[in-house]
Amino acid sequence: MTANDTSRTIQLSLRDIRKSFPARSGPVPVLDGLDFDIHERDFVSIIGPSGCGKTTVFNVIAGLLEPDSGSMTFRGEPVAGLRGRVGYMMQKDLLFPWRTVLGNVMLGLEMKGVEPKQALDTAREYLSTFGLSGFENAYPKTLSGGMRQRAALIRTLITDPDILLLDEPFSALDYQTRLYLEGVLLDAVETFNKTVVLVTHDIDEAVALSKRVVVLGNRPTRVKAVHDIVLADRSPIGARSDPAFSDYFHTLCGELDIQTRRKVA
Amino acid sequence: MSSHALDQPKVAPVRRGPGPMARAIDTTLGRGLIQIAAVAIVLACWQAAVDAGWLTEFLVGAPLGIWRMFHAQLASGDLAIDTWTTLVEAILGFVIGTVAGSAIGLGLWYSTFVARVVEPFIVAINSVPKIALAPIVILWFGTGLVSKVALAVSLTALVALIAAYGAARDADPDLQALLASMGATKNRIFRSVIVPSTLPAIIGLFRINIGFALVGAVVGEFISSQRGLGHMIYTASSLYDLDSVWVGLFVLMAVGFVLYHLIDLVERRILPWRQVSTAGQVQV
Ligand SMILES: Nc1ncnc2c1ncn2[C@@H]1O[C@H](COP(=O)(O)OP(=O)(O)O)[C@@H](O)[C@H]1O
Ligand SMILES: [Mg+2]
Repeated sequence: MTANDTSRTIQLSLRDIRKSFPARSGPVPVLDGLDFDIHERDFVSIIGPSGCGKTTVFNVIAGLLEPDSGSMTFRGEPVAGLRGRVGYMMQKDLLFPWRTVLGNVMLGLEMKGVEPKQALDTAREYLSTFGLSGFENAYPKTLSGGMRQRAALIRTLITDPDILLLDEPFSALDYQTRLYLEGVLLDAVETFNKTVVLVTHDIDEAVALSKRVVVLGNRPTRVKAVHDIVLADRSPIGARSDPAFSDYFHTLCGELDIQTRRKVA
Repeated sequence: MSSHALDQPKVAPVRRGPGPMARAIDTTLGRGLIQIAAVAIVLACWQAAVDAGWLTEFLVGAPLGIWRMFHAQLASGDLAIDTWTTLVEAILGFVIGTVAGSAIGLGLWYSTFVARVVEPFIVAINSVPKIALAPIVILWFGTGLVSKVALAVSLTALVALIAAYGAARDADPDLQALLASMGATKNRIFRSVIVPSTLPAIIGLFRINIGFALVGAVVGEFISSQRGLGHMIYTASSLYDLDSVWVGLFVLMAVGFVLYHLIDLVERRILPWRQVSTAGQVQV
């Protein structure tokens, strides 16, 4: 199966990435020799306890933070970071308050030096695909959380980046909006053939959306486990009702040491 | 038990919004009328107190005298020349000081190292009461326009520098990181994040610096000058011509007021995203 072969080609690999942050009491190690691979057209979720260093990994991949040691290779070439090649969607819906929706969406195209006329056409096209037509000239603070997040998602997709890094993109949204946007994301990823790395604290979301899940341990963090997720239906609701879903869910909960009841001795 | 106030659940008294009367008055026209009435009452009391002999006109002046003096000076053209003189000094000082100060302040964003090196000097210089420099400034720059502009610049530039640098340093690091992840250069980040996110602070600075620039111009005129509102106030007060002093003060007030509102206009033009809605403001 050739399709399967390309999907197993390694796009990005991280080897023994270490990073510590200076603190008053000396350096605090955060990433403690991280190893994992991202395949071409992969959909990988990274889950782990809060504060373990998930955002830090993204900052390293995006080239915003230099690791203390370790190496990254992208399509076989050693790289220091993927600045200019990633679509990074940060934890908050980081829209520029002084730019309209259109201005925000066009930001990445401007950075790439795309001709304004063409950038405008592309932006309008995306806005209509994502149901934001009519809000071109609205400022972010007049939009609902879901709309802001959609605008941020368009901004991330529009530059056609090699890898999407999504840092808890839906965590601030209500459940309905979240399911809806998960669907939007899956469609977009399928249409545009993107590689996605998603950080989430939501095991549910990780299982429903991903082809693979990387579990990180407590800080200083390293990869605790990698799971392949095989579900027949990958739509947000369909996946959640798949018989295999709850097995994955329980396995991952176990790995995160999540306890829902106090242990009785 | 019921006598224990603490046992009661704490319920904030529900305040109602403005009643129909208040809503009718709370319009631009209504507020304007109230403001005009307040001024008229103060002036009338003042005039009455002088007429009744409770206040010495010689020391405080009187509204009617001020009004007559205003007309006389307007007719002779002196007032226009004095106002123009002060206005030009203040505006030049404001523009030069604020533009140079903010530009340097924003520029310091480029290098934390340079910013840290120069910081103590800026703080030290800023802590000198700039008015104390006035005599030297007059010595260096003469008694004409340049010395007043220089004084206004000295009052506005450091304020602008410190405020602009502070605002640049506070600019959202995540927005900067986001642009960096898109491959933006430092210059690009400066233009697309630092400048727009510091604009509100810089416009706020304009408001403060308009006042400081007028202070610089007027104090410069007090010390040595041939014209200007400061000159007029100073000479009139040495002649106990209190009515003229008041004319000068009121005109200065009017000048400051107009400039302040001009800045409002500028703000509305360049910060449209800041006034999207005041409708969401909570009514208490
Ligand atoms: N720039 C920084 N300076 C110092 N400490 C940091 C910095 N960024 C993150 N940390 C620390 O690193 C740890 C991991 O942070 P982060 O990657 O944001 O965790 P999360 O997994 O919740 O995204 C936290 O303890 C945080 O305090
Ligand atoms: Mg995080």
